[in-house]
Order: sequence, then structure tokens, then C-alpha cells
Amino acid sequence: MRRLLVLAFVALVVMAFSAVKISVLCSPDNADALKWLAGEFMKQNPDIQVEIVPLSWEVLYPKLLQDLRSQAGSFDAFTYDVMTTGAVSFGLEDLGAFMKKYPELLPPDYDLNDFIPQVLEESGMWQGKLIGLPFYNNTMLFYYRRDLFEDPKLKQAFKEKYGRELTLPTTWEEVKEIAEFFTRKFNKNSPTEYGIALMFPRTHTLFYMYLLFFGEYRNAPLGIMRHGTADLEYGEYFTADHKPAFNSEEGLKALEMMKKLMPYSPDPLGSDYGETIEYFNQGLVAMVPQWTGPYLIFKSTVGADKVGVIPMPGRSVSGQWALAINKFIPEEKKVAAFKFITFATTKWADKNKFLRFAVAPARMSTLKDPEVRAADPRVPALEVTYVSQTHRPRIPEEPRLEDITVETFSKILAGTLPLSMDTLNDLAKKWQEVLGK
Amino acid sequence: MKNRLIPWLMVLPVLVLFLSMTIYPFAFMIWSSFRQYDLSKGAETRFIGLSNYFQIFSDTTAVESFKFTAKLLAIAVPVELLLGIGVAFLIRGARGEKIIRSSLLIPMMVPAAVSGVAWKMLYNYAFGPVNWFLSLFNVSRISWLGDMNYAQLGIILIDVWQWTPFVFLMIYAGLQSVPQDLIDAARVDGADWGRVFLHVEFPLLRPLILVALVLRIIDCLKTFDIVFMTTWGGPGAATHTYSFYIYKVGVSFGWNIGYASALSVLLLLVSMLLVNIVFRLVRMRQQLGFGGEGE
Repeated sequence: MRRLLVLAFVALVVMAFSAVKISVLCSPDNADALKWLAGEFMKQNPDIQVEIVPLSWEVLYPKLLQDLRSQAGSFDAFTYDVMTTGAVSFGLEDLGAFMKKYPELLPPDYDLNDFIPQVLEESGMWQGKLIGLPFYNNTMLFYYRRDLFEDPKLKQAFKEKYGRELTLPTTWEEVKEIAEFFTRKFNKNSPTEYGIALMFPRTHTLFYMYLLFFGEYRNAPLGIMRHGTADLEYGEYFTADHKPAFNSEEGLKALEMMKKLMPYSPDPLGSDYGETIEYFNQGLVAMVPQWTGPYLIFKSTVGADKVGVIPMPGRSVSGQWALAINKFIPEEKKVAAFKFITFATTKWADKNKFLRFAVAPARMSTLKDPEVRAADPRVPALEVTYVSQTHRPRIPEEPRLEDITVETFSKILAGTLPLSMDTLNDLAKKWQEVLGK
Repeated sequence: MKNRLIPWLMVLPVLVLFLSMTIYPFAFMIWSSFRQYDLSKGAETRFIGLSNYFQIFSDTTAVESFKFTAKLLAIAVPVELLLGIGVAFLIRGARGEKIIRSSLLIPMMVPAAVSGVAWKMLYNYAFGPVNWFLSLFNVSRISWLGDMNYAQLGIILIDVWQWTPFVFLMIYAGLQSVPQDLIDAARVDGADWGRVFLHVEFPLLRPLILVALVLRIIDCLKTFDIVFMTTWGGPGAATHTYSFYIYKVGVSFGWNIGYASALSVLLLLVSMLLVNIVFRLVRMRQQLGFGGEGE
């Protein structure tokens, strides 16, 4: 008996040491889904141990860049935000070549063609190479208090004041009117204190929030005529020939609209992701533009029957995350990491992570699945949004461009810089300096 | 021979640690400040002389960061000194002195990241306790993190809250070591508590106050964590401290090691200058025996 116990102990130790361990860095909004998937993966692959390491958004990108530049290989796989694609691409394994080298590792019916084409292109491809597998096809949606919009008394009061029906907004001008109606300072009978929760803090948030407004004008027929169609590498901040597009009439209009909406929002310059979610949760506001993730929170706190969701008035913005493998790790770990990231992006995984954790789907099969469509009312809004959303630049200079831009925009919105073409031209000049042009 | 070697062998590990963890990074920083060294564009570097240093003065964000740091230094440090001295003096002999003393040290013991998160919640526009408390006095809600002036005030308040206990601790300890017979002698001569403080205790506390001042100046110039956790330098660049900007340049958005190194060297020079000025103004070096007049 004693010998058996000793043998069992030795076997366990050998197994523990013989298992390949991989660590996966991710952002907090991907972490829960990835942890669950890691658990499911390890059940099927007991010889691989997966550790999911969440890092805050502010820390993740510098950590990735530092590790990849130093080739330290201190982690094996990671999720990267779509706009950092260019900056981190040099350190990512070429997954296309890897698949050719190890075709037997690809899960059966994996089907790369099932990924939403634009998503695969934007978050997974860089300069013709497949470097990431789309995991979280995040985008922004417009959440509103359905019970307030459907309240007959409020609808009547709105019609009396504005001469039109209280309908779901499709433009920011319409949002402005509705937001005014739901702001107690301008309508003492408003059921909410503010109309809309906006987040314009001096962080990367402001960089993507601007696109919600700029996109409406940039991608209108006149905007397309002036600036050309945006491509997936440079996005709507640039013209078709890769010059800054925001120092234009369209760029000014976007900032003007943002300023017009500020009185109807609680502390927009001081509010970020967490604050605006809480304002909506607590019934302080009637509307909030937000990412797909908070929907589960809204469902449980506000109530599924009270939360409505529609495509963003104007245009939304893409915020995809992809899974990738560190190029600078041993081959054995690359194989283990590849097995995990392909497992985490199969059709089964894509569907279940959406249903369980609201991690927005990257595959067409998930969007078409009847069970998914019945379970989640956001699917129709997502389908519309994925086609029309705007995109941030993915070039390596993006993080630096982002920082100088949010500083300028923040000062404009705070009133310390004039809202003028000169200000935007100065910013465009700084962009050219960063881009070395 | 062996006897001469042994002491060196004993200190060798510490020496290696010191050289590798202090001297080498310092030398590397100086070296890279004269080079174009941008990790986001590859690991190649080239010598560019003083260009990084000249860039600082044309970089509006760097200048604004410097201005806010100077403001923080000019307001927070004197307030911390006055409050710390005042509180140390007031709680002496008070009922529950030990409990008050321990409670006063709590802010200093809270990790900066935790205090940043806590203060962000306290400053919340709609639900934060600070605005709720002010509403009891009919003060309308303040955008502590969204208004440039209030954001600066908010950061200063957090700094004062966190570091006044440090000054308090130093002064309180100093007050405990003031010889009682001097105080008794002054009282016998008819001195009230004010005169006792001004003419007996304060002169004896002066070296400690000056040490506290120097340490707070150095620390204040390094303010980073509370900005990172609350305002991220905004709105605009209103609450960018100099150290926070170095982090942005060197780590957060681009890994421009060369420029960040130049910013860091400048910070070091300014720190050394300020400390030297303080020493010279109050002739502390003479008092502490670091050197004679005119050095």
C-alpha cells in the first residue's frame, strides 16, 4: 500500500512537471470568458495547463510591447486591442504559416471563413499575414430605458414640447432633443436627472468616443466625397490617402455636437466606463452609449424588460480583441498556445462565450444561430453595427497619436482651447510630426 | 593577502547589487538621454546630442506638467508642514492621544493605488460622499475630476491627506524628545504655551522640520500614483505631474526611452537644485555638520 502511494505521488509529480504550462495575458473584459474556456480546454487537454492573467487596459499594452521588444517570452499568448495591432505585430507568430506547419492541430470544422470577414481582416490580419484570431468582436451600442420611452405620459409630454413623436434616435441631433427632455434642469418633470451618460475623460476613451460623432459626418456622402473611404489600417481619423481627416468641417461638427450634449450628461469630462455604467444602473440617465459587455450588468440591475438596445445613432466604433501567440517562446509552448487559442475561437466557444459572458461574437454562425437570436436582443443591432461602424487607426504610431489627440480634444471640450479649425490644424500638424511626414 | 580579500568578498554581493540596480540604470539613463531611442520603432539608437533636452522646452505637455508639479509643490508641501506641526502639537496630552496618533497614520499606510481608487469613488460626481457632504451646505455638485481647477485641487487634497501624517510623525517624535526640564524652566519663567512652542520647542524641532521639508519636496516631484489612479492627467493636461508625463512618454504610449531619459535627468537636476536651495537658505548643512559656511 505504501509503495502504491509513493508511486502515485511520483506519477502526480511527473505529470505536473510534464504538463506544458502557458500563460495568457488579457484585458479584464475578456478574462471571465477566457478563464471559463481555459477550464473547458484543460478538461480536454490535461497535458496543458493554462493560466489566464488579467491586466488593466492601461498596463496591458506597455507590458506587451516591453516583453515583445525584449523577446523575454514571459508569457505565451495574449489578447491585443485592435488599434495596437500594428504596434505589436512584430512579435506575433504568423498563424497562417503555423497552421500550414501543423495542420493536425486545427480543431475539426474550425472554418476560418466563418469569421465575420471585416473582423478577421481588421483584428487578425496585418500586412497580409494572419497574426491573430478574433475573440471579442466588441462594438458600441446605444442603451436606453425602454420603460421611459414607452411611457404614454412621457410620450405625450415629448410630443407637446417638440412637436414630434418620442422615437428611438437615429442621429445625434435627435439624441440631443431627447436628452434635453430627460434632463431635469431643462424639464422639471423628467423622470431622470440627466438625459444621457457620456464619457469624455482624458483617456483613450475620448479617442473612440469622438468617432461616434465624427463617423456620422465623415461617412456621409459629402464626407466620403471630401475624404474618401476609410481603410481598415488607418480608419476614419484619416483620409483615403492617409492624411488627417479630422481637421475639417466634419471634424469640427463632431466636436460641436459633443459640446452641445454635455449639459445633458453628468460630468462627462470626469466620467469614464465605470461611472457611466453606474449612472445608467442607478437610473440617473435615460440613455448611454456603451460597449457590448455592460449589457449583462444592465440586465441584472435595471432589468431586462427596462433596457432597450439599438445601433448607435450616427456611427459606432469597433473595439475588437484578438488572441495571438508570442513569437519568442519555445516551439512546444507555441503548439500548446495554438491549441488553446484555436479552441477559444471555435464556433462552439464563440457562441457560448456570448451567451454566458456577453463577449460579442466574431463568427457569422453565432449571429445566425436561432438559440443566440432568441436569447439576446442585441443581435439585430450588432448585425447592423458591424457593417457600418468606424475604425481607429491600427498603425504602430496609434498610441502616441491617441494621447496627443485626447489632450487637445479634452482641452477643447473643457473650453481652454478654442473649438476652431486652427486648433484642429495644429493637432493635424502634430500628427504629421509623429508620423514623420 | 587573504585577510585583505575577505572584507571585499563580504561586501561583493551588495556591491554587485548596487552597481547593477542603481549605478548601471542611472548611467544608462544618462546615456540614452543623448540618443534617439524609441522602442516602438525598433531597438536601434543613434546619438542626437542635446535634442531631447531642447525638445522638453518646446513640448507644451512637458511644460504644463512642470507647472502643475510646481503648483503641487508650492501648495501641498507648506500645507502638509503646517498641518503636521499643528496636529502634532495639538494632540499632545489630549485624551485618547494614542488612538488619535494611530488613526492619523492610516492615510500614510494605505497603498497609493488603493487610495487613488478610493478617492476616485469619493470624488464621484453623482454618488460620491464628498459631493453629498457639500450638499448638506447647499453647495452644488462639483466635478472633481472633470473640471480643470477642481481636478488640480482634488489631487492636492489627496496629497495633503496622504502625506500630512508623515510630517506629523516626524514632528510628534521630535516633540517627544524635547527635554522636559527646558519646558519646565520656561514655564517657571512665566512663558505660556505659545512662547514655550516658539522659543523652546520650535528651535529644537527646526532640523526635523527641514528634513521633512526636503523629503516632501523630493517626494512631491515624484507624484505619479494618485494621478494614474484618478484623473490620468486630465482634463486636458491640468493634472499631469512631471513624473506622470515621464511615465506616459517612456512606458504608456510609446517607449520613447531617449526622451523619457532626458525628462528624468532634468527632474533629477531640478530636485538637486531645490534641495540645495533649501539647505542654503536655512543653513542646514552647517547645523547638521555637512559643511561650513560658503560651501
